[in-house]
This record gives sequence, C-alpha cells and structure tokens, in this order.
Amino acid sequence: MPPHVHPPNTALRDPSSLFYQKESNRRLIIAAYWVVLIAALPIWWKTTSIERLSLPSSRVNSQAAKQLRLPIEIALEDVSLVKHLQQELDQRREQSPLVWNGLDVTVQSKTENGSYTIVHDDNRVVASERRLTFPLRKTTVPALADTLTGLLVPRLNSHRVAHYAPRYRLAFTLLNEDAAAGDTINGWDISKAISDHLSPIFDALSVLHNFTVESQVQFHAPLAFSPRTLSEGVGLTPEDLTVFVNSAEWTLSSSVSNDPVLHFLVFVPSATRRPMYILNSQGEPTSANSFLLPQWGGIIIYNPPAEDTLQSPMRPLPPTALNTIFSKFGKQLLALLGVARLPAGVDNSHTGILTGWQLDALLRRRAFENAAEAAETLQSIVKLVNQIENMPVGQDVRGDVQDSLDALDRIYASPIKSLNATLQHSANALTLASRAFFNPGMLALLYFPTEHKFAVYMPLFASAVIPLLATAVREIAAWRRQRREAP
Amino acid sequence: MNPKCRRLWFSLFLPLAVLSLHNEVFDEQLNIRSLPDGKVASRFSFTTVLVGASPPTPQNHSSQDDPRHYSLFPLALGQILHEYAVTEMHLTLNAGKWNYDHWGYPDEDGVGTGAELWAWMGDGAVSTVDERWRGLRNALAGLFCASLGSLDELRTTSPTMMFAPGALSNRTSTHSLRHASLPSEHVCTENLTPFLKLLPCKSLSGIATLLNPHRLFDADWHGMGLHVSWLPQQGVQVKLTFQTISDPLRPQSSSRDWSFASVFERTIQRSCPVATSSQIVVALPFGVPYTINPQPSLVDQGHAIFDVVQSGPLDVSLHWPSGFQYSTTRLAETTFSVRRTLKGYTQDNGQLSVLLRNDEDSPVNIAYLETMPWIIQLYLHTLTLEVDGVSRNDLLQNITYIPPVPHSRATLFQIVLQIPSRSTLKLTMDITKAFLRYTEHPPDAQRGWDLPPAVFVRLDGRPQRRIYAPALLVDLATPDFSMPYNVIIFTCSLIAFIFGSVFNYLTRRFIVLPVPS
Repeated sequence: MPPHVHPPNTALRDPSSLFYQKESNRRLIIAAYWVVLIAALPIWWKTTSIERLSLPSSRVNSQAAKQLRLPIEIALEDVSLVKHLQQELDQRREQSPLVWNGLDVTVQSKTENGSYTIVHDDNRVVASERRLTFPLRKTTVPALADTLTGLLVPRLNSHRVAHYAPRYRLAFTLLNEDAAAGDTINGWDISKAISDHLSPIFDALSVLHNFTVESQVQFHAPLAFSPRTLSEGVGLTPEDLTVFVNSAEWTLSSSVSNDPVLHFLVFVPSATRRPMYILNSQGEPTSANSFLLPQWGGIIIYNPPAEDTLQSPMRPLPPTALNTIFSKFGKQLLALLGVARLPAGVDNSHTGILTGWQLDALLRRRAFENAAEAAETLQSIVKLVNQIENMPVGQDVRGDVQDSLDALDRIYASPIKSLNATLQHSANALTLASRAFFNPGMLALLYFPTEHKFAVYMPLFASAVIPLLATAVREIAAWRRQRREAP
Repeated sequence: MNPKCRRLWFSLFLPLAVLSLHNEVFDEQLNIRSLPDGKVASRFSFTTVLVGASPPTPQNHSSQDDPRHYSLFPLALGQILHEYAVTEMHLTLNAGKWNYDHWGYPDEDGVGTGAELWAWMGDGAVSTVDERWRGLRNALAGLFCASLGSLDELRTTSPTMMFAPGALSNRTSTHSLRHASLPSEHVCTENLTPFLKLLPCKSLSGIATLLNPHRLFDADWHGMGLHVSWLPQQGVQVKLTFQTISDPLRPQSSSRDWSFASVFERTIQRSCPVATSSQIVVALPFGVPYTINPQPSLVDQGHAIFDVVQSGPLDVSLHWPSGFQYSTTRLAETTFSVRRTLKGYTQDNGQLSVLLRNDEDSPVNIAYLETMPWIIQLYLHTLTLEVDGVSRNDLLQNITYIPPVPHSRATLFQIVLQIPSRSTLKLTMDITKAFLRYTEHPPDAQRGWDLPPAVFVRLDGRPQRRIYAPALLVDLATPDFSMPYNVIIFTCSLIAFIFGSVFNYLTRRFIVLPVPS
C-alpha cells in the first residue's frame, strides 16, 4: 500500500491530523491488547493447571532399598558354649536366609538390658519372659539352636494371619440355624466369658492392637447349602466349610467404623439337623467342631447335648460349653493375629498368656511387614503419579507421604532395642502411606482429556486472536517500512 | 456328670440366665382393618425394648472400647445409635399418597411420601450435632440401602414444634432436632431386605412371615418406619413398622373378602420363638353380617385378637356375605382436610395455594409447616388468607420463618392458623423458582423436582397427629444438556464478533480519497 497523501485542494480535514487517528495512538491500542493478553496468560495457566506437587521420589526409592535390621542379643550362662552356639545359629541363618531376613543374632556371655538369657536347667525346658532354661551341654547345642529358631523366627501360615491394624473389631455372634424348629440357645453370658478368656489376651497384646468388642444373637441363620445327611445327624464336607458363612443372610457385624473385623461365630444347628459333624476328606465324621477362616475369623459348631434339650426349649448357652467355646476362640484369635505357639518341648512358665519370646517375635514380624508395606505403598504412589499426568497431587498427599517417610526414618533412628517404638513408627508409616494412596482428591481430574480442553478453547481463542495477530503483523511491517524510508 | 446332677446344676443357673435375657423384650403385632372404600389397611409393628437402658448421651458415648452386647436388639442399629449418640430417631420410607379422606388417620403418623428422617440428639459432645447428623444419615443410608445421604444441609431444618420428642419434653434445651425429607426416594425391595434383617426372627417365623415383598410393593400404599425412642419407665425402644393399604377388590371387583393368603400370599406357619407377645388384631366390621376364620382367642371392643404363639399355623380371613357397595361418604374421623397445589406455568415464578377445610362446628387451630429446599423461595408479603373470597388475615396467629440461603440452606416456614367452623380457608403465597447452576442438576433423566410434603398438626386435638400433604413437583428452568459444544461455539462466535468489531473500530484508519472526475 503506497503511503497515503491527503489531497491538497479539498475542504475536508485531513483524518490523520485527528488525535484518535494518530499513528502512535493506534499502535498504543494494539499494544494494550497484547499487554492484556500476555498479562492474562499466567492467570489462565494458574487457574487451569492441575496442582501437582512434586513427591520426594528419590527419598521413597532409597527408603524402599533399605532393609530394616533388628539385632537380637542372646546371653548364655555357660561361657564355654557361646562360640559354639553362635556357629550353629549362623549356619541356620545361611541355610534359610529368608526366614532370618533382617535379624542380626549375637550370642554373648554377659547379660544386657533387652537381651534374652539362657540358663542351665537339667530337667526342664521352660520359656518365660525373655528367659529360657535349657540343659546346657556341648551335645545339646544343636537342639538349643533349633529351639531358639522356633522361638525367634517361628513358622507361621502367613495366609491365615490378618493384616495389621492398630484396632480390630471383634464381632461375636451366636447363630441359631432355625430357632422356630425348637430348642433354641437364646443367650450367653458373654461379658464374663470375654473377661475370663479374652481379656488376658487383650492385655498381653495391648502394645500391638486395641480391640472393640460387639456381640449379638441371631435366631434364624439358614445355611446357603444343604449339608450331607449321615446315618446320625448331618455332615459338612471340607468344601462346605469354605462356603459355610452365608453373608447374604447373616448380618454379622455393624459397620460403624472402618476397623477390620474378626468374626467369631457359634453355630447351633437346627433341632432337625443335629448333631452336625465336620467330615474329613474321606467323608467320615471327625471329632473336630471348629474351624478357622483365614484372615476372617473362627467358627465353632455347638451341638447341644440331647439331655439338655429336655430342660427347656429356650435356654442360654450352658457355662461349661461357654468356657470351652471361648477358650477355643482365644486360640483362634491368637492364630489370626499371628501369635506363634511355643516350639515343641518348650513349656510356658504360666506367668501369662504369652512369653516375651512370642510377643517379641510377633512385634518383629509386624514391624518388618509394616515397614515393607509402607515402603511399597509409597513406591506405588510415586509410580502412579508419574504414570498418570492428569492426577492431581495436593498438599495433603505430599504431607502424608513426607510424614510416612519421616516415620520410616524414625524406625532406624529409634533406640535399637525398643521393639515397641519400632512397631509404632512402622504402623504409623503404614497408616499415613495408605491414607495418601487412598486420598480421594487424587481422582478429581482423572478423566478430563486434553481434546475436551481444546474443544472448549478453540472457538473463542482462534476467532479473537487471528485479527489481533494480523493487525500486529501489519503494524510491524508498516513501522519497519517507515524506518527504512526515513532519511 | 449324670443327667440328674446336670439338671440340678442347670436349675441353679437358670434364674440368672433368665434375668440377663429379660434385658431385651421383643413384641410383635399386626393390626388389620377394612376401610370403607373396600381396601384393607394393615400395620405391622415389631418392638424391641432394651429394658432399663438410657439413651447414649454425648458424654458417655465417647469410649470406643466399650463392648456392645445385644441379643434381640439389632446390633447394626444399636451401634449406629451409640456411635452418633442419638436420643430419639424416626425414619420413614413411604411410597404413594395417603388418602386421609378415605382411609382415615394412619396407625403410624409418618406417611409423608418418600424418605423422612428426624432425630433428637444431645449437645455437648466432642463432635457437634451437625457432624453426628451427617454421620447418622450416611450410616442409615448404608444400613437401609436408601439415598439418605442426600438429606444434606440443603434439606435439613429444625422444626421443633411439629416434631416434638417423646420423652424428652423437658430436655429440649440440651437436645437439638434435625429433620429432613426426600420425597423423590423410591422405596422398594432393597429397603425391605435390610429392614427384615433387623428383626430377630427375620421373615422366617412369626408375623414377619407375611412381609412378602411381591405383595407389599404391589399395594396401593406402603411404607416402612424405624422409630427409636426413649421411654423413661422402660428403656430404649426400637419400633419397626410396616404399613400397607392393599386392595382386595382389584382381582375380584364384587367382594371385599380378604385373608392372609389373598392379601400377602403367605400364611403364618410358625411363631417367632423369642417374641414375648405376638398378636394379630383385626378390627371387626360394625353393623353388617360377617364371618371371621378361625375363631379369635379374644374379642375386645370390636377387635378380634389372635395369639400367634398359641395358635399354630394361621390364616385369618374375613368374609362378608353381602356384596360390596362402594360408598362415597367421607370418613367421619377426618374432619380436617388439605389440598396443596403449586400454580403457574412459567419456569421462574408461581403461586403456592393451600386449601384447608374444617368440617367441624367449632374453629380449629392448625400449625402448618413448609420445609422447602432453596430452589423455591417464598414471598412472605404476598401471603393472603381468604374464606369464601373474603380476606381474613386476622386468622394468622404466628409465623416462624427462616429464609433460604441459595445453594446452602432450606426454608423453614411455619405458621399457626385458625380455621373457622364449617369453612374452607384458602392460603396463597407467591414463589420464585431458582435458576440452578450447571452442576446442580441431577445427572439422571429430568422429571422435575420433588418438594417435600407440608405437615399440619391440629393444636387443640389430643393426641396431636401429624397430617402430611402430598409432595409437589416443580419444573425449573433446565438447560439443554445435549449440546454444550454448540452452545460454546455460538457464544464464542458472538463474543468473537463483538471483539472483532470493537477492535476494528479502535484501530481503523480513515483517509479521504479524491474521487476522480
């Protein structure tokens, strides 16, 4: 476009002499648009971006690579056997490194605070609070090493043990299969039974878990299958036991809290189906009347004796039966919580339910489990966040992850012999890690695709920005031309 | 131990055991009456009393380690009451419209359409009443598979006058009421199953055998209720009720005969062994010939009473030898009736109109409660009262009004009125309908918004009965959700056009061109 020259002999005013037609004014206006647009960009970016705080991934990875090591010190009364026992134990650790993973066993002669003591006693093998009596002779050292293995790293069916939780709810249910068929057990003195049989266990395990107890009686608890009819009574095959719990019909626990529930059921078969036996794999009745559902709870089948039936069609559970049932529940509870039995041949000194050996073994086991699981959960969070770019990571998630890492760090920093502190920190780390993992805020914008965003932005921005760009280009071109032509 | 010895030993322990069992008492009752329009009203009530128990107070409920042991009392419910320290609680889930004019007053007051929940809770706990109210709602939603979680702050009010506590009348200063209703809740089998699980005998023996979902949900009206209250002389009482109105005339239009088998398609085969009492009470017809089968164990004041525990298998039937004549006369007991409508066809305003008729020879005082969600806003200054076309604003005695807060709080509108004898009072009030945000629309197919039923109470009558007006449906302005991108593109084109024009005018260059001659 040639530079325009106002026609000389006209009555009209030259538009370029008007103030709003000045070149500088027009350029200012265009520049103002661009300034607003550029100034708005950070706001736009801030309001539409997803909050993704960075997670301490290097710390998480280094934490996952760490292995928790717990020392075990054994003081032997007989100084001459110290070296021999150490050799035997080291040999066992080499044979099964997985079982002994993370444990450093040292045998010494002097007694220190927090170590286990082994004393000579020719007659008995008795475990008490961190103390063991054993016939100490050169020939019995391999046997002692075996016993110590059983005490320090007991074998457990790990599928059976419930996941660690700081608080469990124990739901006791007395189920009458069909009360209307006659002969009903309509109650039980459960408070007494619990204080007799379970309260000692609660006290012994109070460092690990708290317990909430609830109980109920049900009068109609139909089975979801029909048991096999025998010549006398009915029988439950091993397959039946796996589907024994009819969770559709039995409301076994309340749902007021999120604590894991361990169920304990007393099942009273209907008067028409007594006695009810548990069959072995050959289909023959066994004398067993209880079974354990791994990680879920324990079930006891109670067949009321025939002579009781004459008493009254409606009666509470007789105290003798209550005692047998609840001592069995006690054993089932210990099994579900992962408390190992003493190795064969070792007696309990009768001072309590659990010896220090058993409790320590459980504490160590839970600490290892929790620490490993916490580290694993943290790794999963980091991996997940890296994989999904739309996943928001808020301050609370980052805080939980950091707190969990701090708790894991404290495990290593905690006084080396305080198993309780180690467990508390590991449990804390696990709780925080799972809370971060299940944070509902991380799901918020998961399904907001980029295409959607462009579909919303394009119609507005394309049509507004194109004239802006075009004018800017034109003005810059004009400006450069002016400069070139200027003398 | 020989049997004799065992028996002796047993008898020593028996009294102790019986004592402990007496802590919980379960009673069940079924009331059946035939209605003048040929329908049959039945009310099941299952009552469990925790004898001597006092309701959980916020002060004593905190301990988590406290064991809970129940035998007849439902554990799932007991834990909820304990966890949220609920003193008194009433939950009703109803379907249909209770026809007061033809069916009279229901045995249980709470017949409002949909879900209604109200609870009295003590103050002074670690968690506030509102926090516990939220917890209670969600816990009950889980227990009953109902969408009670939506009874949120948008629907919660505190109308203390209408929903007075049973035994707490002198303690209202330390307790607070929370009330909410959800008229759009649909009640069906998934709510009945958890209801039955709360009963000690489920639906396997006793009167509850008759609760056959296929028949109950086919009834003209049905509703279930859960009422927890504290009776100072007895203890904490849980009453589970189920009411139905079934129509024996539907299959055969000439006979109003009914029996358990025809109404419920079930009969009672076995009694519930743990029920202290298990009664069926049938209201006998008056002044017409009838036969009732089997013979009742007791007839008292026009009611036949059957004891299920003693009778064995039971199928009660009532037979009228004379055919059925439909009568159009209204029941004498309902001398007060209500018609409530929402007028106006636009989507932004309308008029609420309530017709209250008093058939008595004396004026009656009525308390009237509206708990509207904020989407409906009342214009209080347009409130008019008319009797036969004559304005009678003097009949208005008292107004309590808590205005709504958009997007957060419901309206509470409560007035006391006097209705003159043998007349119809017309109350009208203008309303506006709110314009909702995009995200406030429900994600399902739109049929309008259900408004909670209004509640009326006769203040001079004893006992005070709550009367529910039917729920209303309101149509709010609803955007076309099917074309958001079209809307975006149209809007953007318009904005781009305006922007372009303005920008063009601002940066345009004017020049004078000589016209070549």
